[in-house]
Amino acid sequence: MDVTRVADVLIEISNVTKQYGGGAPAVDRVSLQIAQGEAVAVMGPSGSGKSTLLNLIAGLDRPTSGTVTVAGERIDRLSETALARFRRRRIGMIFQFFNLLDDLTVLDNVMLPAQLVGTPRRRALTRATELLSVLKIEQHRQAYPARLSGGERQRVAIARALVNDPELLLADEPTGALDSRTGHEIGELLRGLNKSGQAMVLVTHSPDLASHYASRTVEIVDGQVATAGVRS
Amino acid sequence: MRAVTRAAAGRGMTRRVQKAVIFLVLLATTASATTALALLVVDTGGPFQQAFAAQHGADAVVGINVSRATEQQLAATSRLPEVTSAAGPFQVASMSFDQGGYPGGTVTVAGRAAPGGPVDDVTLTAGRWATRPGEIVIATDLGQGSGTQVSLPIGSKVTVTTAPGHPQLTVVGQALSVTDSAGAWVVPAELPALQAATAHQSDEMLYQFRAAGSAQQVRADVAKVTAALPAGAVAGYAPWQTAASEANGNSSIIAPFVIAFAIMGLALSVLIVTNVVGGVVVSGRRRIGVLKSIGLTPRQVTTAYLTWVGRPAVAGCLLGVVLGNLLAMPVLSHSASVYGVAHQFVPPWVDVVTPLAMCALVGIAALVPAVRASRLSAVQAIATGQAPSQGRGYTAHRLLARLPLPRPVTIGLAAPFARPGRTAVMLAAILFGTTAVLFAVGLDAGLGKAAAGVQTTKGPGQVTVQTGGNNPVFTGSQQRQAIAAISAQLGTAHYVAQASPTVGVSGLTREVNADAFDGNATWLGFDMVTGHWYSGPGQVDVNTVFLTQTGLSVGDTTSLTDGGTNSTVKIVGEVYFPSNQPLLLTSWQTLGGAAAGLTVGQYDIVLKPGVSSQAYGNGLGNALGPNLGMGIYGSGQFFTIATSLIGTLTLMIAVVAGLGVLNTVLLGTRERTHDLGVFKALGMTPREVTAMVVCWVAAPALAAAVIAIPAARTLGGSTLQAMANAAGTAIPASWTHALSPVDLGLLALSGLVIAAAGALLPGTWAARSRTATALRAE
Repeated sequence: MDVTRVADVLIEISNVTKQYGGGAPAVDRVSLQIAQGEAVAVMGPSGSGKSTLLNLIAGLDRPTSGTVTVAGERIDRLSETALARFRRRRIGMIFQFFNLLDDLTVLDNVMLPAQLVGTPRRRALTRATELLSVLKIEQHRQAYPARLSGGERQRVAIARALVNDPELLLADEPTGALDSRTGHEIGELLRGLNKSGQAMVLVTHSPDLASHYASRTVEIVDGQVATAGVRS
Repeated sequence: MRAVTRAAAGRGMTRRVQKAVIFLVLLATTASATTALALLVVDTGGPFQQAFAAQHGADAVVGINVSRATEQQLAATSRLPEVTSAAGPFQVASMSFDQGGYPGGTVTVAGRAAPGGPVDDVTLTAGRWATRPGEIVIATDLGQGSGTQVSLPIGSKVTVTTAPGHPQLTVVGQALSVTDSAGAWVVPAELPALQAATAHQSDEMLYQFRAAGSAQQVRADVAKVTAALPAGAVAGYAPWQTAASEANGNSSIIAPFVIAFAIMGLALSVLIVTNVVGGVVVSGRRRIGVLKSIGLTPRQVTTAYLTWVGRPAVAGCLLGVVLGNLLAMPVLSHSASVYGVAHQFVPPWVDVVTPLAMCALVGIAALVPAVRASRLSAVQAIATGQAPSQGRGYTAHRLLARLPLPRPVTIGLAAPFARPGRTAVMLAAILFGTTAVLFAVGLDAGLGKAAAGVQTTKGPGQVTVQTGGNNPVFTGSQQRQAIAAISAQLGTAHYVAQASPTVGVSGLTREVNADAFDGNATWLGFDMVTGHWYSGPGQVDVNTVFLTQTGLSVGDTTSLTDGGTNSTVKIVGEVYFPSNQPLLLTSWQTLGGAAAGLTVGQYDIVLKPGVSSQAYGNGLGNALGPNLGMGIYGSGQFFTIATSLIGTLTLMIAVVAGLGVLNTVLLGTRERTHDLGVFKALGMTPREVTAMVVCWVAAPALAAAVIAIPAARTLGGSTLQAMANAAGTAIPASWTHALSPVDLGLLALSGLVIAAAGALLPGTWAARSRTATALRAE
């Protein structure tokens, strides 16, 4: 079901299939549109293909067939280098297990994507400090991730994802490794970001997270879209 | 067991590469170890002594004045208590010969009915022994490497220019006397016909003594023989040490190179093999933990790893031995011809011991970490199989992040600090590789100079012109003809006439060879050890042996006697001229010129840069006509072999060092697969990932380069010195620092090249890995 106007489309997935080896497709003929500023939750049981779908949107993986267009760019036919540049310009990613680099300080972790796009160190530092302050973890800027709690680490990951002002935030089970209270805090943080206009796609198997923090839920079962466009 | 081995080792790209690395490292290190050990054993194990024992070499070749002693008196000397064996008397004569108009030189020819005997059992290397007059057997090394146009294959004819009637002889065999008792042999009946009309008949006796370990002992023994004979019967003698010194000659020069490379190669082998094999086990710890958790015993795990590592290692060792033998062959075959041994080959025990030692090394390198891992509990093994300990390298990351460099570069530069132990091994590998390159290039320059120095012992200049007839000196018309031809020949840069008289030197009982040049001869290119080339009358340059024998130094004066005329000269320089004979170089005027009887013996020519000496020689040969001969000199085959051997050993060490880096970086990328996935997810391009991984090795490579420069200079300097000692000469100080600081700095960057080459492959693999898969890695 098309729920967006063409001019507002940020992500357009058209008849995408992703198959590993000779087994059943992880994602099977999925078509989906996500609008600018929308927060979409992709739900489904374990192994349903939701993380694979997120990877396809992020350009971390390539579809076996079909097209993936993000912000008007056909990413399924980009080279690896172009994909990397696409990711660092347009995408911010948050992972279930944070994926922070243990040997970099919090500040260096957050600054890294900005430095990869060529932002001068001083400006990257200002932007990272500002984000850490907004996310209330500025006091940990010189700490290493291993010394932080799960919630603090996820805040660092969110700051890192936002440092380049991406058009799209992708979150793969962002509260999956957190206790419920911290998960709620992170959920609120994401909702706040969406309210300020940040488009995001959340992959979760938590109906609570989906219903509370996403404006629309897409349910994937066995690699296929079971329901799409359910607005919360 | 196969299933257990497969389960323990695992599969996949990394394992296949590690197998390939183990195979290649063992192939290269076993080959270099076999080559180095074989050359060491053959060279330092006394090939001369072996040949000497096999051929019953003479401890002393004693010249006899036959007019003063009877055969009975000579035979009686064999019963002296000092003498264990004696042979002779053999009649000998000094003869000059030419072949096809080209001078072949002067040799001592001996009359011998058969090659064998109780002393100096001459080895026939080709053809047969002379059985009738008109036949001659020549020493295998006669004219070898001299570059003259004389070659004496079996069946060729030589004309004896110093004997009445210029008899012609057919070469029927080639042979070698380990003690250089003669340079050619004929049947005894032939010898009187070969003697110059004015020459006195002389014989030689060959002795083996009870005690002849030193030159002093031989001198004492010969003194007993002399005392047992009538006065004046003994005309002189040559101890075996002289023959040994000449035979060892060029081969001894290479020994220090080989020793240095052998030590470096073996040390690097130990380091890399330990690193590679140990790394395989350590990187498999997590898997070991998993296997133990499902029921494998520690012994099964250990055995499985040893089996997995052992297969490529054994294959590499076996092929390495074959390769090592192939590499050693050219040098050994040259050595065999020098020593007069039919064949020299890699000693069988080297072929057995080297691969066994390498396999044992692999076994120990694998056993220690495998046993340690197998003793860990399953949980511990899984835990220690993860990424490096937390906290290591954090400071480096923090500090390097502030550098104004691209972030992938600073992250890469900081990475080695996370694994200091592994980084140290990588640094050592690059250090060995870089040192080997610096050392080899420096020594190659030194060896080139040594080759040039040895060349000057054969004939100064690149081309020489000599008389082709019976007279060893130029007539006036021949001089004019030679000068006209040389002057007209395109490509002539300089030429000078040379006389080669012998002169008496105060303090020396035997006359000394002198080269007197009629004109400026500075361009001949003799390397100066100390002092300077003579610049006026009354000045001479001498070689190291001259100074050693006379006890004089540069700056001293001495008296020369030439044709009954005494003159005082000042020694102004010591030239590099590796020889066991003293030599004096000076101007034509210093020795009195034509008025003192000096005659032109040859013209020395140096060519313009870029002119082919062979092409020049062809042109000049046509212009000179049949009455004048010519010699064209090039560096000997031995130096070509030595240079290529050094190049090969260097390449192997560099390749092994590169493989060591590859393995270390591979382990690093394997450990950090997940982090690499994160970097890529954050937008690091494949090229940036490759650059980051290559930068992992930059700091160790730079450190290695800094250490390698003084290490290579020290090693190179001491090796050259050892080389010079082996050749019995001093060497110019400039040789030990043949490379300028800029050259050294640039060459030291070879460490970066080795490191980058080793890191590039794993870096590229890391860049190509699928991000989504990498992010799932633990």
